[in-house]
Amino acid sequence: MKSRLASLVLLIAAIVVLALLPALVNNYWLRIATGALMWAGLACSWNMLGGYAGYINFGQSAFFGLGAYTSALLMGDPLGLPFFATIPAGIVVTAIFAIIIGAPTLRLRGAYFAIATWAFAEVLTQFVNVVGFTGGIGGLNLPPFLDERFFYFTMFAAAVLTYLVTWALFERSRFGLKVKALRDHEPAAEAMGINTALVKLQTFVLSAVTASVFGSIFAYWVTFINPKSVFGGDITDQMVVMVLLGGLGSLWGPAIGGVGLFVINRLLWMNWGDTAFYIAILGAAIVLVVLFLPNGIAGLFAKRPAESATVLDKAVDKLVGNGEGGHS
Amino acid sequence: MSQTVQAVANDGMRPSGGSILVVRDLYRYFGGIKAANGVNLDVGRREIAGLIGPNGSGKSTLFSLVAGTVKPDRGQIRFDGHEIAGMSAHRIARLGLARTFQIPAMFDNMTVTENLLAGAAQGHWQGAHERAAETLGLLKLVHVADNRASDLSGGQQKLLEFGRVIMRQASLILLDEVTAGVHPNIRKIILEAIARLRERGISFLIIEHDMEMVRNVCDRIIVMDSGRVVTSGSFNDIVRNSEVMQTYLGRPQ
Repeated sequence: MKSRLASLVLLIAAIVVLALLPALVNNYWLRIATGALMWAGLACSWNMLGGYAGYINFGQSAFFGLGAYTSALLMGDPLGLPFFATIPAGIVVTAIFAIIIGAPTLRLRGAYFAIATWAFAEVLTQFVNVVGFTGGIGGLNLPPFLDERFFYFTMFAAAVLTYLVTWALFERSRFGLKVKALRDHEPAAEAMGINTALVKLQTFVLSAVTASVFGSIFAYWVTFINPKSVFGGDITDQMVVMVLLGGLGSLWGPAIGGVGLFVINRLLWMNWGDTAFYIAILGAAIVLVVLFLPNGIAGLFAKRPAESATVLDKAVDKLVGNGEGGHS
Repeated sequence: MSQTVQAVANDGMRPSGGSILVVRDLYRYFGGIKAANGVNLDVGRREIAGLIGPNGSGKSTLFSLVAGTVKPDRGQIRFDGHEIAGMSAHRIARLGLARTFQIPAMFDNMTVTENLLAGAAQGHWQGAHERAAETLGLLKLVHVADNRASDLSGGQQKLLEFGRVIMRQASLILLDEVTAGVHPNIRKIILEAIARLRERGISFLIIEHDMEMVRNVCDRIIVMDSGRVVTSGSFNDIVRNSEVMQTYLGRPQ
């Protein structure tokens, strides 16, 4: 009870500091904070399916890109829609694609889903590269709006909403019980009357549309997007490493990993003007986490015996079709 | 008329009017293995039916066929008035069927309490927290309520899986060797719980290798061999039938 009160106080303090941040730091650091909030939100979106349901998605950047491109296209000529009207449009477009990709593949074992999401992201990137209305490799410009505070607060609101929804749905509701049950033992979850195919699809759609919302905000913020900047595979890679480092299947793990790695990325850039070394850090982080820290940084604060099963075990089982993970 | 039907019926059957589960001419081959080779059996309402037979006789396959995890090649399965052959596992479960697995099927990363709640998450949510607390008490798991399921002992995992089945509020429960390899204390807890549930009107079909357990809890024994029901009857009937004993006990376990 005491620790619960302590974490509540900590949470409120963090929100107050974040809300006051624009008054405390200059625009340079505010931009970094905006980016950190975005990555915390994106990592959380990947964790919804990867951590809570155990299904590894290697194409999450596709949904980030769909949100970004939907906003860019709708805000540009000839429609010129207001920014906030384009977010729901991005959500709808993304949800449709997520259902098309997820409905057939989430019934199979995790490897098929992982390959399908990766292939989808690749196909979409090439599609956007070659067709005319997306601007091809040249990308798209959005109407510039140069108010750092606006983007900070918009990203802040999106991140808070993302974590609030994740907490309410996955940590505090029976929907979360169903998702975690199918992650840990799919046939047993079915035997409890849980429609695992449907619950997985719902989780996937929620995960995808969350990434799409951040894509919309990102596009407006940076005012220029191209296929590489919003569909790039490295965007997915970063989300995966952030979640693994922070703690797969935990509420705060993605926030820790997302903020931590993004800030490291920016510090490297500030000091060397180059982030090539960042890729090496990502690789090392994956190896170290898999070997020594399967529950991530968040797992350090939870008491559990060393031999306990981990969420990572379950996700790997689903990927390779081991044990009870998949069923025909 | 119905008398005639009964007279010619296979040994696993009872009058189907009072049956919660009716299986007729059920077939399922895995390649050349005839796991279900024309199974006929009934389970009466409030009945505790024991399913025995040598390893590989098709008991667990029959469970999977009834629960919907394996689809039959042909045949009928009627559960509580619904034709369920070929139906998906979660739809059959929602009709009121619950099962345990031969190897305890834990939700490893969830706590004991969460495991129980997950049993009620689909369709039985009303009062689930109270029932979970009750079940923890009934199965003497209160002291490990906040432990992760993967950290429990083997016997405790069997108890927890049984508890999750209780949370489902099913009308028919399939138990697959639920007391195999558990401490006598835990076995006693499970047996008492089964008796209590039967009083509430729940039927059981139990796969069991322990003849002592079969004798103590089952109203009727159904004997399977080579994918078929060979015979059924009271424990004494079965024991007196030397041919059955040969079938069941004459092979290495």
